[in-house]
Amino acid sequence: MTPALIRLLHLASPTLPVGAYTYSQGLEWVVECGTVRNEADALAWIGDCLEHGVACLEAVYLAHMLVAWRGDERQRLAHLDAEFLASRETAELRAETLQMGHSLARLLEDLDKTSVTRMQHDGTREPGIPPSAGLRGFATPSFPLAWSCMAARWDIPVEDAVAGYLWAWAENQVMAALKAVPLGQTSGQRMLLALGERIPELAARATATPITDTRNFLPAFAIASSRHETQYTRIFRS
Amino acid sequence: MLLADPAPAPASTAWPARLSLGFERRAGATVLARREHLGPLRVQKALYPEGDGVCHCVVLHPPSGIAGGDQLTLEVDVAQDAHALLTTPGAGKWYRSAGPEASQSLVFRVSKGAMLEWLPQETILFDGSRAAMATHVTLAEQARFLGWEVLCLGRRASGEHYGAGHLGLATRMTREDRPIWLERGRIRGGDPVLDAPAGLAGFSVAATFLATGAPAGPELMAACRGLPVAEPGARVGLSALPDLLVARYLGHSSEAARHWFIGLWHLLRPVFAGRDAVPPRIWNT
Repeated sequence: MTPALIRLLHLASPTLPVGAYTYSQGLEWVVECGTVRNEADALAWIGDCLEHGVACLEAVYLAHMLVAWRGDERQRLAHLDAEFLASRETAELRAETLQMGHSLARLLEDLDKTSVTRMQHDGTREPGIPPSAGLRGFATPSFPLAWSCMAARWDIPVEDAVAGYLWAWAENQVMAALKAVPLGQTSGQRMLLALGERIPELAARATATPITDTRNFLPAFAIASSRHETQYTRIFRS
Repeated sequence: MLLADPAPAPASTAWPARLSLGFERRAGATVLARREHLGPLRVQKALYPEGDGVCHCVVLHPPSGIAGGDQLTLEVDVAQDAHALLTTPGAGKWYRSAGPEASQSLVFRVSKGAMLEWLPQETILFDGSRAAMATHVTLAEQARFLGWEVLCLGRRASGEHYGAGHLGLATRMTREDRPIWLERGRIRGGDPVLDAPAGLAGFSVAATFLATGAPAGPELMAACRGLPVAEPGARVGLSALPDLLVARYLGHSSEAARHWFIGLWHLLRPVFAGRDAVPPRIWNT
């Protein structure tokens, strides 16, 4: 057991106050239009988005950002952040990552005031990044930029961090499916078991992917997210 | 010479073709000031169907299709305040390749206050084609760009699926050195993403229309969203990102996709160019 594992569980937890639960990333639209009607459909949709979407784009940026935080390469971080934002397919997806990034940055600032991050850090050595540094200077950090900043401070190994990020994403999508379809709790747990099985390999792949090989060409996903922007009745913000 | 001369390398099948165009504004008119070509990529004479402010050009690739090893580069510079519109005379076809990859590189640079419209006819990727398509649009401040790409994976009309080969896509748009749009894809023939509900969802035509340089306000977006789609079952979506309007189409009919894009173009052009859309005559032939 390492302190980093506890920190990863913390960072990947739905209690992280960034409002992730208010976003469905187009899932609400595919439920509305009948593409997703049951557990099997929901698992297929979320599994696609996990494997061909978030693991090929966000997770790869996250891994590269984490490495850049370790080296305190701020120019590279700004570059990665700008590229990630330009890779977001729709206005809602972009707004989502910016809002969550903003909330996490605010949280980090608040925690720094009370020195919690410093006090609870594994005390055997100084953290690589001073708690006061980090996201200052990034006016509008994306969610992976802010998340990777915290993961770097807490010395979470890159591949573990990516796996945790993917898990948190999958958990959030499954919760969205339970509300939107709707589905029962056992369906949700079955989906999480199935999605979780795929995560270690996807995390390893994302961590090894050069930044020039990111991918974000999922037209049906992008269209679902676009259509959600004007969906008449909706409970999610994306 | 050594007796045991190694076997000669197979003749290179690479067939580079390069076309470099430069448009400038002179005395209120846009002129085709630079035209250089290497290999089978040409441009017909400059056309002025809507007065001398906008120069229309038809980009030709006389071999009629792209074979393995072909390397096409189209480079276009639009100088300050000039306005160019480029199209193609027919569908771009990428043939099956037994080995080498074919590539197409579009390099567009649009200067301050200038405008470029890249409105090609559809691109058909034959089953077994190996294609690398890169588009790089560099914009100065107040530069405007309208461009689309209609991709057909396999010749669906003859029952062909994209079962073999591969397609690499990379689109990058920057304004004053800041990225405003990045899209990258890699699809192998028979790739699960072709049928994946969130991927291409079993559709063979995936098309994207990008417009930048003017605000896409709520009224314009509402008008665009109200435009009918001719193909039943096709899916479309529009989103207004900062400094970029993106429209997407997924279906089986490239004709319907182009028809929808042309409809959007009629709505967007007055806003982005201050001019009504004047369709190039070659689209009617």
